[in-house]
Amino acid sequence: MKNLFKPEMLKVLIGILTFLLVLKLVWFVVQITWLSALDIDQQEDQSSKSLYYRVKLTPNNIAAPQKVVHQTTKKIAGSIKEIKLLAIYNASDIAVVTVEYRHKSKVLGSGDIINGFTLEGAGSNFAMFSKNSKNYKVMLAKNAKSTSTSSIVKTVPTPKTRVKTKKPLGEVTNEGDIRIIDRSLLDHYADNMEEIYKNIGIAEIKKGKDLQGFKINFVRKDSPFAKLGIRRNDVVKSINGQEITSYNAAFGVYKNIKNVDNLSLVIMRGKEEMELEYEIN
Amino acid sequence: MQMVKKSAFIILAVWFSVLLFMPKAELYYTLEKTLAEQDIKLNEQSINEGLFSLSIKDVTVYVKGIALAHVEELDFFTLLFYSSLEVLNLQVDEALHAKVPATTKEAVFTHSLLSPLSVSVDANGSFGTVEGQANVLDKEVRIDFVEVGNIGMIQPYLKKDEKGWFYEKSF
Repeated sequence: MKNLFKPEMLKVLIGILTFLLVLKLVWFVVQITWLSALDIDQQEDQSSKSLYYRVKLTPNNIAAPQKVVHQTTKKIAGSIKEIKLLAIYNASDIAVVTVEYRHKSKVLGSGDIINGFTLEGAGSNFAMFSKNSKNYKVMLAKNAKSTSTSSIVKTVPTPKTRVKTKKPLGEVTNEGDIRIIDRSLLDHYADNMEEIYKNIGIAEIKKGKDLQGFKINFVRKDSPFAKLGIRRNDVVKSINGQEITSYNAAFGVYKNIKNVDNLSLVIMRGKEEMELEYEIN
Repeated sequence: MQMVKKSAFIILAVWFSVLLFMPKAELYYTLEKTLAEQDIKLNEQSINEGLFSLSIKDVTVYVKGIALAHVEELDFFTLLFYSSLEVLNLQVDEALHAKVPATTKEAVFTHSLLSPLSVSVDANGSFGTVEGQANVLDKEVRIDFVEVGNIGMIQPYLKKDEKGWFYEKSF
């Protein structure tokens, strides 16, 4: 105790405290002069919403009979109608089929289960499923013709034939008022983003620092994008009801694009607002 | 000898006090501000200051407003002559899985005064295990794959020599 109150010790103690104070002050000056005191956070985009889906109603206006209600309840339990057969590979020891279920392609082998149905085997143009000791025969989808001719392999495929199955890319066709986009084309661009920018240029529209939307810079002639009917200087306002005013909104559309059956694109061409409709098959 | 002891004590005290009073959170906010200028924003759940470290938990990385990655924990550690940044459990958004490895379990970036012009990195994840170095003097990055995992999506950017796959880039 005596030592602590020695004038020399007090001097040292005061010296240390002064030094710490000076150092703290230096950091404080650095902090208020150069450093940021505020945490910068990304505000969650409240405007984004899930894509809406167009549903085709019956061509006439007659109310659907009650029986239909029963059918829908059956569907929930798992209907064979939800399974669309796209391709078959049938070898002596195993059957492999490609099916479309809930808009997603799946590859199944013998014994695999989908929607409660077990794949038992396959013929030249059908697959056999079973459920609750009942057998269900699913025929090869008619609209899978173009792809299936190359993807159905009756004998053991060589690597070459496998490469061929990946090749065919669909296109955009014009059928009256509506344009039809082949799903394989859509999937191709969804998986290869860089290919999009080879065919179409998209630029930001900014007001000061705020992003207002996106503008088409160029569309390569003869590309599928040109067939969509979009032109240079078109401003994209919304896709499937989702306003495209942020990168997040655009990315949201990109992420869900494989799950949509219809596309509705609202654009501004000059002073005119236009809605372009597409069906995905 | 007394003089040496006194000098050593003063240096130690200065070094310790500099680290103690360092406004670590504010330095991190400044880093956030710099990144924000490049349209990269970090949203975090919590920031904890330690004596020599700063720990940031549940960080979501936004690029141009898009949440592209999530990091479970970021740990900065510094003794001034040795610094490290540990990135734990980095998950990339599903939409980018075709372009970049989906997960990085652990990535450690270190800088030491012994080699002041380089930063070394060790990481492991779905891509395998990598070791590498960025050299400021040579303006070069080289990352070697010690163990190869799922690198199909990044293979076009990689080269191969007798040691195995590696990534090399000048900046």
